Amino acid sequence: MNNIHFPVYTLLLLLATAVVIPIIGKESFSRLKTLMMVTLPASWLLSVMTFLKVNQEGGFVYNFGNWSEKIGIQFIIDEFSALMSLFILTVSFFVILYSLKDIEHEIDPDQFSGYYTLIFILLFSMVGITFSNDLFNMYVFMEILSLTSCSIISIKRKKDNYMAALRYLVLNTIGSLSVLLGMALLYMVTGHLNVTEAARNIAEIYQLYPTNLLLAVGFMVTGMGIKAAVFPLHIWLPDAHSSAPTPSSALLSGIVVKVYIFTIIKILFKLLGIDIVNSLGVPQYITYFAAVGMIMGSVFAIGQKDIKRMLAYSSVAQIGYIFLGLGLASEQGLSAALFHVIAHALMKSALFLSVGAIIYKTGKRDIRELNGIGYEMPITMTVFTVAAFGMIGIPGINGFMSKIYLSFAVLDADKPVFLVIILISSFLNAFYYLPIVISAFLRENKERKSIMALEKIPRGMLIPMVCFALASIIMGFYPQIVMDVIEKAVPTFFLMGN
Amino acid sequence: MDDLIVKTITRLIVPFIQLYGIFIILHGHISPGGGFSGGAILGSSIILFTLSYGLERASKKVPHKISAILESAGILWYIFIGLIGIALGGTFLANQDSGFFMGEAGRILSAGMIPLLTVAIGIKVASTMVTLFHTIIEED
Amino acid sequence: MELLNSIIEHINYIGAMALFVIGLYTVLTHSNLLKKVIGINIMETSIFLFFVSIGYVHDGSSPIINLGGGRVIYVNPLPSALILTGIVVAVSITAYSLSLIMKLYEVYGTMDLDEIMEIRSEATNE
Repeated sequence: MNNIHFPVYTLLLLLATAVVIPIIGKESFSRLKTLMMVTLPASWLLSVMTFLKVNQEGGFVYNFGNWSEKIGIQFIIDEFSALMSLFILTVSFFVILYSLKDIEHEIDPDQFSGYYTLIFILLFSMVGITFSNDLFNMYVFMEILSLTSCSIISIKRKKDNYMAALRYLVLNTIGSLSVLLGMALLYMVTGHLNVTEAARNIAEIYQLYPTNLLLAVGFMVTGMGIKAAVFPLHIWLPDAHSSAPTPSSALLSGIVVKVYIFTIIKILFKLLGIDIVNSLGVPQYITYFAAVGMIMGSVFAIGQKDIKRMLAYSSVAQIGYIFLGLGLASEQGLSAALFHVIAHALMKSALFLSVGAIIYKTGKRDIRELNGIGYEMPITMTVFTVAAFGMIGIPGINGFMSKIYLSFAVLDADKPVFLVIILISSFLNAFYYLPIVISAFLRENKERKSIMALEKIPRGMLIPMVCFALASIIMGFYPQIVMDVIEKAVPTFFLMGN
Repeated sequence: MDDLIVKTITRLIVPFIQLYGIFIILHGHISPGGGFSGGAILGSSIILFTLSYGLERASKKVPHKISAILESAGILWYIFIGLIGIALGGTFLANQDSGFFMGEAGRILSAGMIPLLTVAIGIKVASTMVTLFHTIIEED
Repeated sequence: MELLNSIIEHINYIGAMALFVIGLYTVLTHSNLLKKVIGINIMETSIFLFFVSIGYVHDGSSPIINLGGGRVIYVNPLPSALILTGIVVAVSITAYSLSLIMKLYEVYGTMDLDEIMEIRSEATNE
């Protein structure tokens, strides 16, 4: 139990699996499945043990190669990163379980080993970002993440996928280059790339070189904003998330975007500290963009005919919620944002996976063709309905709780305008989610009679969906399970101010 | 690509380029260079061979399968060396603290695990370069 | 004169920023996809230049362990080491985007973004 190497083992296990897959998985898919089903739960267990250790004994730092943090690379494993790595691995475990069946009709069989190599490198880089305490190391992990997340889109060999992947890649690269420029500007004045070391003398730097710091923060937040799809910079997201294979969409929408949000949180609150961030006025602008995004994302989603595209635009709106909580720059706001990160990942994965099952079974992607689908595929549509209700904010599902937390945080920060925006956005959510649910269960299909029949979806695809829906409901009734852990993690960001 | 001059020059020059690449990889810990630069030079020698003799002969010399295995082996070797650091009581990639032979600065046999790591990086980079180039021109 | 001096002193930073803006302009305005990739490469190069300039120390020598004694002022080796990693990343991004462009050329028969968009909109209208 008492082993500080577990986070490193988690990372290494993911990386080693990624490089072993192309060697052994080229001939037989079943061997590849066995390998993944051994290493993925193993790394999940390691991250659970890390999580338990951190919660019992507090966070710790890990210096690579015994170098001091001034020279070497450092990992920081505190309550926040332990929770988030556990969350990433849990969500991706279920998505990968689903993908084992679904992927067979999404991409060519000779691409399987390549696809899973990419997925494992993706997981490796996401866990790496959450642990890393070094700016340049974060950048490298971010580049690995953006390359792999583009490739899991373009692996489906269609015209749209190439275009979406190229657009994603170009914008992502611009984003990461501005992040790198920001880091360079920061390194120029602080002389450290280590977050903790740089944070130590940042107050003094702010007195001496305010312009440099402002430029650095501007470049970094804008770059991260492109990658996390904050509203006016979201243009790559709908194409990328809707054309990707279903498991990739669930991963991209559920966790990849969130990882960039963690990095923004780290940079704003760990590196700069709440005082400097407030005096630079960054949170204020973030809330404005978030508010516009909450409305506009939903408005765009209403106009969509392709169901996956609609879900992608809905992600833009939901990212607005997260950024609103982040922009309040208070403990409650940040807890609400982190709660919504987890809630949204569960709901959006459930939505994407159930839509993927519909496409798997019927091949229909158009919203208008979904009449009576609820009778054809009752379990899938129930999962969809639960998650859609969560997005709207019906009580009993986790989406409602995150809206409650967010509303309290908004009122606590004395900004009631945003409460109105949350309400409008929920109303707009209902505007595009409810018609699908209604037409699926209440409208009759012309082609076949509406007789309830058990669907013939492979069990491997059904179980992950149901798990996500159940988790959403459990989190809706007992939000304290998650909230307790988050409330332990959030204060680590506000230690600086004292 | 049936140019006698290009082919002859390539045949003459490739061994020297490869020797230079290996030199740079092996001297990674005592002079500028190292795994990436040396590996890139090694890889570019194979790319030169492909350009002048065509893909067919080049993939006979460096089959796709072998370069894929080398790519994975490079990373696995790196992870293995790093884990030795943990096994000997340090952290991941711990060098001096885990008792690697440090030697005398400036000698080839010095700096503990770093030469071993540079070799791993060199193999990885060289095979990646070759695989990248071969895959891109194969698609045509 | 003072202005001129400060320009000469900071010529690296000015050059890096100018290159960054040129690269960004190329990426955003050119419709040829290859030129976009070249623009990204220019942006990358500008940041590498910027990073390496930060580490430069006046009159410093290259940070190779000096066996014979002598000079002790070294330039900061950390930015150069980081930039080596940055170059690796840049190479992989370039390789990946070029292969994507090749695929797009195969499918659409053109490398111009505007023409691709036209073909796509015609396809959806029909």
